[in-house]
Amino acid sequence: MSKVEIVGPRQLLGETLSLVRQKGDLHIEPSAVGFVDDIHKQKVHSLLPDEKALFEKIFLEEFEAKLNNLFTCLPVEMIRESFLAPRPIIDTVSRTLDRHLALCRSLFEKREAIQQDLLELSGYKNFLATVSTLLDKIQLTPDLDYIGITLKDEKSVDILRNSLACLADASCELLTVPAGDGALVGLIAATKDTSEVIRSFLSQKQVPEITFPESLQYMAFAAKVEYLQKKIQENEAALQAVEADLKKFTHRWGPMYKAALDWVREQLSIIQASAFSFETAMCFFIYGWMPAEKVASLSAGLQKNFAGSVVLEEIEIRAEDLERVPVILQNPQYFKPFENFTRLLPLPSYTSFDPTPFIGIFFPLFFGLILGDAGYGLIIFLLSSLSTRFARKKQLFQDAIKILKVCSLYAMIFGFLYGEFWGDFGHTVLGMKPVFIDRRKSILPMLYFAMAIGLAHVTLGLAMGIVSALRRHTKKEALAKLLNIIFIFLIVALIITFVGFFPELMTRPLVISILLLCPVLLFTGGLLAPLELLKNIGNIISYARIMAIGLTSVLLANVANQLSGLTGDIILGLIVGGIIHLIGIIIGVFSSSIHSLRLHYVEFFDKFIELGGRKYRPFSSIKNKETDASIPKAESKQQKKLHESPSQSS
Amino acid sequence: MDKIWIAFAAALAIGLPAIATAWAQSKIGSAGAGSLAEKPELSGTVIILVAIPETMVILGFVVAVIILLGG
Repeated sequence: MSKVEIVGPRQLLGETLSLVRQKGDLHIEPSAVGFVDDIHKQKVHSLLPDEKALFEKIFLEEFEAKLNNLFTCLPVEMIRESFLAPRPIIDTVSRTLDRHLALCRSLFEKREAIQQDLLELSGYKNFLATVSTLLDKIQLTPDLDYIGITLKDEKSVDILRNSLACLADASCELLTVPAGDGALVGLIAATKDTSEVIRSFLSQKQVPEITFPESLQYMAFAAKVEYLQKKIQENEAALQAVEADLKKFTHRWGPMYKAALDWVREQLSIIQASAFSFETAMCFFIYGWMPAEKVASLSAGLQKNFAGSVVLEEIEIRAEDLERVPVILQNPQYFKPFENFTRLLPLPSYTSFDPTPFIGIFFPLFFGLILGDAGYGLIIFLLSSLSTRFARKKQLFQDAIKILKVCSLYAMIFGFLYGEFWGDFGHTVLGMKPVFIDRRKSILPMLYFAMAIGLAHVTLGLAMGIVSALRRHTKKEALAKLLNIIFIFLIVALIITFVGFFPELMTRPLVISILLLCPVLLFTGGLLAPLELLKNIGNIISYARIMAIGLTSVLLANVANQLSGLTGDIILGLIVGGIIHLIGIIIGVFSSSIHSLRLHYVEFFDKFIELGGRKYRPFSSIKNKETDASIPKAESKQQKKLHESPSQSS
Repeated sequence: MDKIWIAFAAALAIGLPAIATAWAQSKIGSAGAGSLAEKPELSGTVIILVAIPETMVILGFVVAVIILLGG
């Protein structure tokens, strides 16, 4: 990262910022701390906007709000790029915008009202469609009263018919017809003097009666049905017409207003960025950070556009600046998906290391060591390859698949080394033999192997910690880490001597070395140094999980094979074995990932990564592109606002 | 009889740390979920905090294996 300063005459600030935004590489620093020497502090001050700039900002903000309101009213559609340059059309747009906004808002409100009406009428739609077939069957007379009901099933029809016969004798009749949703729609025709008794009976028995809107109470039953059917049809036609109008408007005017909105946002972002600029009586200054390889390009761009009036200068990064230097994660293609794991943690500081390559190397390795089954690896690889087709749009899903593919390859490699293919299936049926170690039987050797991996990984972490400390010029910390490594190896050698692998004569020199180094450790690491050493040893033992979880994984696979064998039937055995193996794969993938990650986050990164870096946020038009894409998102909120107070949203 | 005591000791060696780990993780997990509701950017820190007590059960497992196989 380079620390840069852009200097030029004050009148060229807007154009310079526009170019910087176009290039999109400069992270503008809002503070002059570390950029201006104490001698010049009096002369350089924050750029204060003049009256014209303030008015421009207010105008643009109002304009943006109006354009946002306009897009709120329009349907969510892909809008093509405008063929017109935005700057010359702004005056025209500002004249037409109010009129178009009023038109779109009225169409939007009309659409909302119709949709609301249709929502209220949708409750009747099913009933009306069904009851109209009944109306054709009966002779409607004004002397009779008609009651519409819905019934759950055929059984309730007979019960109701019997009850009505007892209640109104022969003065009523029930007709039913099945509705589309499986229920029954019924129509009770009764004389006017018995209808009230029937209604109260229905209410008592909780049989839902279809109630029509109050405004239709004086209409005859058939007229009500006809009126509602007609109203639904009218509303649907009106909705289609309004939506067509809005769509037509979007196609015609959308590109122009979108171009205007982009331009307004760009201008506002430039005004906002100018607030982070500094000035003297004659010049402006923009301070910031940018990737070292991009400096030449921006410098050449400034030279080309301003003929040397505006210049870019690289400034030396001092020790006190290191905390402020923004951080960007840049990794080769293979490591990119693993950046998702890095993003779970705060960014590393500028003087520290990007942990992504370490995760990219060791995460699949640990995953393979834990899962270590060629059959499981093969299934995961096939499933992740098949899922590739469905993951084209979601980057996170794509990354997860890439990681799974790499991990499954490691699982296959270690599966062959352990001689495992769906547990002991490979050994018993395919005749596979462990090349390296048999996890099922060699429990203690596997435990030692897991801890040896831990020893190597933690030592690497401590070694990286020494480099990191030296970079920060903290030699004492580097020495403490070096002593930790020496202590760990001495303790390991002592344990091996006790076990009997090393000659017993080595015990005394090892103990003496530990005792001699103790004061040095206390001097370099302070009183907490022994605790730190114990923590490091605990971290190494923590790698025993590689063996422990791997063992549970292989035992579960063996249980699946044994149970499927116990069924005594090929098909049933395949089903039982398949289900348990599937559970084993799911648990295997999940636990292997979680524990591999944990070994990185807790045991490894703790040794050398310093967190708390500032994110590199370049001043660019990409941000605007993202905001454009979120227009539909913003719509829902604004629609709500507009719906609540349509007259205030301008 | 010795075998019973060895098995019992191994069970205790892994069982007690497992209970302790579960208790610690339940407390940290509920607090972590609360923190994440307010600050989702703390997800990495919360994962680390939840993962720390697991070391207890791994140490217990190692001791149990040593009791069973190393003794």
